Amino acid sequence: MEKKILDPEPKVSKMTIIGWLSLILAIILFSGTLSTTQDWRSGFDFVTLTGHFGALKEGKDFMGVGGTGVRAGFLLALSLAPCVMLAMGLISIVEHTGGFNVAQRLLTPILRPLLGLPGIASLALIASLQSTDAGAGMTKTLCDEGLITNKERTVFAQFQMSGCGVINNYLTIGSMVFSSLICPIAVPLLVIIVLKIFGANLTRMIINRSSEKGAK
Amino acid sequence: MEKRMNIFDMFLEGARKGWDIAIHSLLPNVIMAFTIIKFFQVTGILKFIGIIFAPVMGIFGLPGEAITVNLTAVMSQAGAIGVLAGLISNGSIDVRQVTIILPSVFAAGGILQNIGRVLGTSGVNTRYYGVLVGVTLLNGILALIIMSILTKIFY
Repeated sequence: MEKKILDPEPKVSKMTIIGWLSLILAIILFSGTLSTTQDWRSGFDFVTLTGHFGALKEGKDFMGVGGTGVRAGFLLALSLAPCVMLAMGLISIVEHTGGFNVAQRLLTPILRPLLGLPGIASLALIASLQSTDAGAGMTKTLCDEGLITNKERTVFAQFQMSGCGVINNYLTIGSMVFSSLICPIAVPLLVIIVLKIFGANLTRMIINRSSEKGAK
Repeated sequence: MEKRMNIFDMFLEGARKGWDIAIHSLLPNVIMAFTIIKFFQVTGILKFIGIIFAPVMGIFGLPGEAITVNLTAVMSQAGAIGVLAGLISNGSIDVRQVTIILPSVFAAGGILQNIGRVLGTSGVNTRYYGVLVGVTLLNGILALIIMSILTKIFY
């Protein structure tokens, strides 16, 4: 499993089998791929596990029919608590079992072609997908320690700026409207992540061009 | 350093965090957003906004009222999703349109606070702030375009 001798960056954490399983399980759970299955497989779907409130009156849950204003909003926010708690509980398991470590290790070799960043930034990148502040703090440390250049910091900040802390934010805040989505919940998330990468590369091009101009 | 946790402890730790988020972050945001939407609705402002912005938002297959979601998003993602939920509850927006607008809230969300939280904290040179904010706004518009195409093709 471990190949520490060949590892050029010993700071990067190790990949464990449990970590792999946990990451794969997380992807299955949150991607919604099993949401339409009716058999045992649906037990591995986040939306299925969230379930729904029982009906008070024909076809409606405890929020009732025709609520308006702040009181309707209050019930909506309360109705979200189970979903947010389940999402954060599952994410916590993935985190503690090393699922994110595996993701980080998988990212390390592709960071350079993808964003022009050194592999060492993968830890900060994974952190930034979960928490805006953790990602930004780690980015500053990377630059202060000379592990990334000023230009790389700017590109990395762009990646974080659009869709900040997206995994946690999307699964918690976004859950308010998940029941109104007509596509699997993973589709909007993927669109955001692709745009994050696109935006960072656009910024990289803009900075490169402006520094070329500066040289002339 | 860290106490060894079993899988139940792990889940419980996260679930507690989830409760804090739901009660301390989502709930106040939703209350605020629903107040604003209700005020806009009964005063007729929402209808007015809908008419004014119908041509712009119509490009993406959205009603004019949807601009309130994206404008709120610049300040707060949770507020914006609250506004979106408000629009759903009063029937201003349908499921297809919710699907189109959702990713744009996150792609161009919380820009004002992130100037401090991301750019300030990470120490980016201030002369790039304009570029970074501009590209982030562009990402929001691209998200609307991509989702309106995706929903047209697949759903």
